[in-house]
Amino acid sequence: MRVLVIDPDTARAALVAQGLEGVQPLEVRRSAVYDEAEVLAFAPDVVVIAAESPDRDTLDSLRDSSAGHPVVMFVDRSEPGLAEQAVRAGVAAYVVDGLAPGRVRSILDVAMSRFALTQQLRGDLAKAKADLESRKTVERAKGLLMKERGLDEDGAYRLLRKLAMDRGKPIGAVAADLLAFAGVLKGDGQ
Amino acid sequence: MSGLSDLRLGYIPLTDCAPLVAAQALGFFEEEGLNVTLEREASWATIRDKVAAGVLDGAHMLAPMALAATAAGEGEILAPLALNQNGSAVTVSKTLSEAIFAVDPQALSQTPVTAAALAKVVAARRENGQGPLTFAVVFPYSMHNYMLRYWLAQGGVDPDHDVRLVVIPPPRMVERMRAGEVDGFCVGAPWNAVAEAEDVGRVLVAASQFWPGGPDKVLGVTADLASHRPDELRACLRAVMRGAAWADEPENRETLIELLARPDRVGAAPTAIARALNGEIVFHRDAAGLPRREHGLWFLSQMTRWGQVDAALDLQALVDRVYRPDLYRDAALSLGPILEPALAFADAAGPAQARLFDGRAFDPQAVRAYAAGFAISRALV
Repeated sequence: MRVLVIDPDTARAALVAQGLEGVQPLEVRRSAVYDEAEVLAFAPDVVVIAAESPDRDTLDSLRDSSAGHPVVMFVDRSEPGLAEQAVRAGVAAYVVDGLAPGRVRSILDVAMSRFALTQQLRGDLAKAKADLESRKTVERAKGLLMKERGLDEDGAYRLLRKLAMDRGKPIGAVAADLLAFAGVLKGDGQ
Repeated sequence: MSGLSDLRLGYIPLTDCAPLVAAQALGFFEEEGLNVTLEREASWATIRDKVAAGVLDGAHMLAPMALAATAAGEGEILAPLALNQNGSAVTVSKTLSEAIFAVDPQALSQTPVTAAALAKVVAARRENGQGPLTFAVVFPYSMHNYMLRYWLAQGGVDPDHDVRLVVIPPPRMVERMRAGEVDGFCVGAPWNAVAEAEDVGRVLVAASQFWPGGPDKVLGVTADLASHRPDELRACLRAVMRGAAWADEPENRETLIELLARPDRVGAAPTAIARALNGEIVFHRDAAGLPRREHGLWFLSQMTRWGQVDAALDLQALVDRVYRPDLYRDAALSLGPILEPALAFADAAGPAQARLFDGRAFDPQAVRAYAAGFAISRALV
């Protein structure tokens, strides 16, 4: 397990390392500020950051991208309620300072599995969107073939499927090509 | 017991937190019956989380952040007041400004400077096998992100493919540019002026040139404050409006700069802070404080354009929920006798249609068509 602790102070990194004792293999690295090159090279499984660090915005901006990481935040004990309420609201994974080392492992595990779940949902959503787009494209290509070649719906679909098999391409891609070429012939893109 | 109601408000060290800082320093909050704790926060994400969780009652906030957090169900954040117009700018490093000058010596003397010459620099770099230029903004949901992207795309630079866009906290922008890690950025005041004063960068476009009277930050508050403590919210809005009106007055400029320059507030050189206050940022006059729903819709048009919002989202319903000019009006009218005539705002005071530097008109009735109508757009139609 690779853990990156972004914190000018060394105490939290020590606490994290202590809490993860026994995890094999384990590498806990500490950095005072977010350094993109370092993060890319280290490829951490989870990032732990002080909630008062300005680098939070950089990490937060990666939240919705494939370059994101599960992030756990340490918040000062003088912030009553933030950790509990933020976690309940699903905003972010906050933990309160002064945490017992014995709980570190479970908190990081929860953050990682929650992150994996969100990434999977995001992937599913992207795939569903792409499927829908592809279906729409196929419908439009079918319409074009019906009009231009005088085919019925079934015939148009069979022709598209044959083109796809002949070229070894997905039917959505063939439909998109067809529409693009039809557009060029009509004079689009000039 | 002071008899005052407690309120916690957050801010980020930027010039446009002035209405909050002024309201606190001049005792306007107390006069309105509030005991306000102003907390300086280190990141926008923390501002969002704290307001969403109700740990802060309200904060100096990026206007699109209130929309994004509410749309994502992270919290219900209202914008009952706009904190300022203008203030941000696009700045490029000295090296990049020289490269732009080299491809087109006239480019930098246009008003406003467009990204057309930058597009030539980008193309030349690609031919020479050099890596993409790096531009920074302060947060994905920010006027800065949309202003930079709009400006780049208008000049033919695709912000997603032709350059690398990263997020860097405002106080670190200048040092990253000095280190050569960032070639350009869009950030709020005073950091553009700081980059120029330290001879690190050159300001190309100010927000007032990009979109005269365009929106920037809002006061974002919890929906809970509005529904359960409406009197306190009204008192808070009145105090902040008074702070904003005070901050606009030229005779208060020196005092305001002193207040903001303090290390526990913005902590930048007074001369750098002065620059954006001189003819750029407007806090109160011209109804600058009115949270206009068309501004919210413009933000959503850009969020749509760059693929940040779901195609099924009801944009108008979201804006109606978040942008609350009714709360502003209510508080402003109750203040009338104190602020007259500075408060002679009218809903119709602004132009019916926003017009940006490229002359393209924004129609708030056709947000998605506007978003999809740009040559460079990720909007799905």
